[in-house]
Amino acid sequence: MQKFMHGLNKEQKTIKLIQMKKIKSYQFLMRPLQHSLIVILVLLGSSQLIAQDTLSSNAPVVKKKSFVKNTFEGNYIIDNQTVIVPIKGTFEFDIQHRFGTFENGWKDLGGLFANANMLLGFSYVAIHDLQIGFAATNDRMQTAGTLKYALVKQTKNNTMPLSVTLFGNMVMDTRAKNSSLPIINVQDRFSYFSQLIIARKINEKISLQVVPSFSYYNNVEAFYTDKNVIQPKTNNGHFSISLAGRYKLTDGMSIIANYDQPITQHPMNNPNPNIAIGLDMKTSGHDFQIFLGNYGYVLPQTNNVFNHNDFSKSQFLIGFNISRLWNF
Amino acid sequence: MKKLPQLGLIVVFITTASFTLFQTKPWNVPADKVKAVNAVKSNAASIAEGKTLWSTHCASCHGKTGLGDGTKAAQLETTPPDFTKAALQGQTDGSLFYKTSEGRGDMPGFKKKIPEQEDLWNLVNFMRSLNK
Repeated sequence: MQKFMHGLNKEQKTIKLIQMKKIKSYQFLMRPLQHSLIVILVLLGSSQLIAQDTLSSNAPVVKKKSFVKNTFEGNYIIDNQTVIVPIKGTFEFDIQHRFGTFENGWKDLGGLFANANMLLGFSYVAIHDLQIGFAATNDRMQTAGTLKYALVKQTKNNTMPLSVTLFGNMVMDTRAKNSSLPIINVQDRFSYFSQLIIARKINEKISLQVVPSFSYYNNVEAFYTDKNVIQPKTNNGHFSISLAGRYKLTDGMSIIANYDQPITQHPMNNPNPNIAIGLDMKTSGHDFQIFLGNYGYVLPQTNNVFNHNDFSKSQFLIGFNISRLWNF
Repeated sequence: MKKLPQLGLIVVFITTASFTLFQTKPWNVPADKVKAVNAVKSNAASIAEGKTLWSTHCASCHGKTGLGDGTKAAQLETTPPDFTKAALQGQTDGSLFYKTSEGRGDMPGFKKKIPEQEDLWNLVNFMRSLNK
């Protein structure tokens, strides 16, 4: 530098030094960019070379599989969602049915002749790991929009030991207004449900999941107390937790079980827990479940908040879920 | 009696036509697909994965052990082949992979239902284990 500055006066030296500093700072900025560019070019070149090499052989390219599959047989395990989100392009048609409870015995053939709750639903996996759906049920004339997203998936090498999926819905009660219903405004018709499904496929036969859930009703039933104060019968929000498991008997048949425990304590009308056990039969395009349980509704928030069937009083009922899947 | 030769002719025609119509059409696999090399080494784990897929997607037509005696086999227009016989086992892994992936007629293609190639090769490895 000193050599380079030789023969310049003080003012010229200052100007030159400023210019040199500018050049140095420019180089300081440019060098990493140049290096990055070289790295990108090398990477691109190498990937092209590898691609050419792969194409030249007859062996098809096999994508490395790392995620655990078939943690459960399908989207549902009795009254709950499973951690499963089907592969992209899967269209699913669901039919669900819950008969009446056994308590009337032969009078209504163990609930088969009693009033039943039914649901028809459709869902589609439009984007990888994201399922959107729509369902309608005769129970309270409710319609539902659903969203399910696989956040994390269990890996085969156990670097990720769990699968985690988020499920949520928005439900509209479409019944006509009347004085016995807590519906005044449009927003009173809506309820919401969200849950975090955490599951692990323990081995080829056994899978378990634990599911904390939250239900919310915009409006709830209430009454006037003696002091003329409005007293809600239940809270708007309700926490619950569910445990579910599968044991595979054969490749196509499994025993499934489900337990739901309410957590929130309401001023009154507290819901009862649910115990359910059943069989799951799976084919290439179908998943069929038949079970015994206490939950008599077909939407999760309705079951979690309004279930008054009590397993200690043997208030069990038969239910089934049928899912038909197409791949587009 | 005069009509007997005509009747015979009709019978011969119908028999010939039916043989022509119902004989199994050859399933031509592209040459590069025939030569495709199995990308998954056959071992117990691969065969077990293939067996699970077979039970879910294939057994209802091809039968649990590949004899072509699945519960739906009788309703099919095409008789499912016997996987234990040389006629099928003589095919290359690449051919079996291609036919499973693409399908034809009664046989659905599985490239959408089983999107990962590794799974299809596992299935091919299970098909090989059916060889008697």
